[in-house]
Amino acid sequence: MSGDGSILRTDGLHKFFGGVHAVDDVSIEVTDGEILSIIGPNGAGKTTLFNLITGVHEASRGSAEFLVDGDWKRVTGRPPHAIAELGLVRTWQNVRPFGALTTRENVLAGLGHERYRSSSMFGRYDRETHEATADDLLERVGMDEYADTPASSLPLALQRRLEIARALALDPELLLLDEPAAGLNEEESEELMTLLRDLVEEGLTIVLIEHAMDVVMNVSDRIYVLDQGSIIAEGPPIEIQNDERVVEAYFGESETAEIEGGVGDA
Amino acid sequence: MVSFTPDYMITLITIGTIYALAATSLNFITGYAGLVSIGHAAFLAVGAYTEAILLLKYNVPFEIAFPASILMGAILGALLGLPSLRVSDDFLAVATIGINFIVVGALQFSDFFGGTLGLSVETPRVLGVALEDTVFMLFALAMLAIGMGVSWWLQRSWAGLALAALREDPQAAESVGISTARFKIIAFTISGAFAGMAGALLAHYFGFITPGTFGFLLSVDILVFAVFGGLGTIWGPVVGAYFLYILPQFLRTFQDYRVILYGLVLMFIIVVEPDGLMGLYRRASDWWSDRHAEPTAGETA
Amino acid sequence: MSSVAALTPLQIGVSTLTTGLTLGALYALIAVGLTMVYGMMRILHIAHAAILVVGAYAGFYTWSALGSFWLALPVAMLVGGLVNVTVYLALFRWIADEEPLIPLIASIGLFVAMSDGYRILFGAYSKNFAPSFAFGSPIPAFTTPQFVVIVLTVVLFAAVYVLVAYTRVGLAWQVTAQDREIAGAIGINVRRIMALNFFVGGALAGAAGALVGMYYGDVSPYMGDTWAYKTFIIIVLGGMGSIPGTVIAAFILGLFETSIIAQWGFALPRDAIAFLLMIAVLMFKPEGLLGGEGSSLRRYLQDLFGESSEPETVEEVT
Repeated sequence: MSGDGSILRTDGLHKFFGGVHAVDDVSIEVTDGEILSIIGPNGAGKTTLFNLITGVHEASRGSAEFLVDGDWKRVTGRPPHAIAELGLVRTWQNVRPFGALTTRENVLAGLGHERYRSSSMFGRYDRETHEATADDLLERVGMDEYADTPASSLPLALQRRLEIARALALDPELLLLDEPAAGLNEEESEELMTLLRDLVEEGLTIVLIEHAMDVVMNVSDRIYVLDQGSIIAEGPPIEIQNDERVVEAYFGESETAEIEGGVGDA
Repeated sequence: MVSFTPDYMITLITIGTIYALAATSLNFITGYAGLVSIGHAAFLAVGAYTEAILLLKYNVPFEIAFPASILMGAILGALLGLPSLRVSDDFLAVATIGINFIVVGALQFSDFFGGTLGLSVETPRVLGVALEDTVFMLFALAMLAIGMGVSWWLQRSWAGLALAALREDPQAAESVGISTARFKIIAFTISGAFAGMAGALLAHYFGFITPGTFGFLLSVDILVFAVFGGLGTIWGPVVGAYFLYILPQFLRTFQDYRVILYGLVLMFIIVVEPDGLMGLYRRASDWWSDRHAEPTAGETA
Repeated sequence: MSSVAALTPLQIGVSTLTTGLTLGALYALIAVGLTMVYGMMRILHIAHAAILVVGAYAGFYTWSALGSFWLALPVAMLVGGLVNVTVYLALFRWIADEEPLIPLIASIGLFVAMSDGYRILFGAYSKNFAPSFAFGSPIPAFTTPQFVVIVLTVVLFAAVYVLVAYTRVGLAWQVTAQDREIAGAIGINVRRIMALNFFVGGALAGAAGALVGMYYGDVSPYMGDTWAYKTFIIIVLGGMGSIPGTVIAAFILGLFETSIIAQWGFALPRDAIAFLLMIAVLMFKPEGLLGGEGSSLRRYLQDLFGESSEPETVEEVT
């Protein structure tokens, strides 16, 4: 942990797609051990920001750094797999499990990260010890009974949990979750929130992109609000709920209104 | 009527085995890694010509030339796999056709490689024993067994798991620490090695190779074998090759229609059962075991 | 035509130019049809060149029966269009949304089958196709066949442009190409638009077939082969799905081939050189010359959601 407790920071990130300025001078900091949410209307650039941090897109300008074993390492400019290996792992807005593989194999694919770089990649993965490790991870997200199920036949809520288990297989310090609650009903959202809190208690730091305001307001320590590529607000949930600019961004009106749970996309 | 002398059978099996090895090698790229490659004959050409040149021009003994051809196949496989890092899917398909043409073209215009007239290759001798007829067939079968063994091992290895993830969803694979570049090259290297092996065997068996042997049509043939049998399986490419090569030999009347039948077979199988014969087999055995399963309340087949 | 020794450099240069332009026009005609299909369905219609061949044969038989090239051409276009629509309805329609490997392999099978089919139906030997024209070329540098090719290409492209840009059907076509789901949602009969797309593409290929046959003087079952490979090169070069890119790439290749390759003895066969050019371009610009630069909005959306239906470039790993 660095002096001010942050483990990820971005400095003036920009991304242009043709003429569109998708991410506009974004500088954020993520504190160790917090649950940070990034919210904003559709098209605000939230996923693009994730993509920049995780190497899926090249930043047009600016940089991002991640704290690894006490050293700040630049993540912009690295290929995605290298960033994941550093302990910065993400999940996807449209769930992307490896459909043809079983649930356990999905997790094993993540567990392999230690072996992919050397000749041990030719060792067998279908040994009991490995499968046990995978099953432990599945248990952590409450999915161990589905270990042998093909991932494509899982319902959405379970696929989302599978992605989290798969991400955990990389032993991450920081988890970036892209709309993990999308498509979940109330009960499933509750379970998700519990899981997130448990993970943080175990030492993880989590950054969320979310639209489901009840999840965001309930679980976040801090929130950044993005609109049209730039940060327009930052603070704890209480402040954000009452922030004029945030309301305006979502509704286009300059009314002060409390954003209750259940507010969806603009 | 074709007379099935033992000699003829040996010929059929030997050539079928070489094709099976070629299809198995393609399977590493197209089956396991999910990368389209319609120019695989180029890799066979590398092995065949390496073998021919070493034997013919440098008098290298078979014991050294053969492994060298495999190595050459691996190296060039890795090199020719580089475009797959840059482009994907349809672009890659066209690029692989291009590579096929470029390799064949280079061989045609090169006097060193015998140009359009080609090169002749002698019977291999190992420790004084000539590898021909039955012995050669057994040797080829042994090589095929090795190829299938590597397939078997790969399927169970971490590398194979990475390839499966890569095949499913390259971006998601990257996000869990799988370097798509590294594993694509690995797939091409292994594939190139076995293709080189098949090419060297082919060179020896036919005794004479020309660039035209390794054109687009051969690439299509190999693809048809692998797809028809079942991509991504160990037995698929093998079964596909033997079946599609040997069966027409029995039906001499169809020889004239071989090409159009291959085309139709390819279309038919990829639409009806993309997993090929192995897919059909799996469906059939699933159905069979479902029928004979212990009835449980509420279970649907 | 004077003997080669007596040709001045200027004359050589001009004839290279006219030949290059003619070749470019032919390439453009066949490549645009292919890129249209790709732009709509993301299927690489490898058998497209086989449509060219069927058009060529249709044109040939019409000409040999009726004696007029001007009747042969529309027949070639009609046949090309109809055959292509049949290919869509019978094959591609069913497999369009499968994983990309499947339509690709199916179209390879189709190409192989159709080519051999022509051999079986029409015989393996080439047939002489040499219509004569009642007029001479009004433009001094172009021969009559060259003139015919270029004028017809321009006319056909103009017709297609008018169709796409100025008619209701054309509008529906553009919408469907942008977003199939929205098109369906606002009441466009997507299947019919797709069929129309294939028809027009096939008609262009058929026209190209008749023109190729006329220009080179014969038709044969395998005449499509070189055109097939060249067409792939062109649409990859131009950026798959981009019609302007394809046209530009077609002319680049046509001029490149006639000037550079023809003038200097080269170390590789023509096809191989063309492929080398393609691969060289791809290594620098994996989306092709004009690929990926369609509507910037479309590209932004694709990048935003991470999953392009366009072939995704795998960023170079360092």
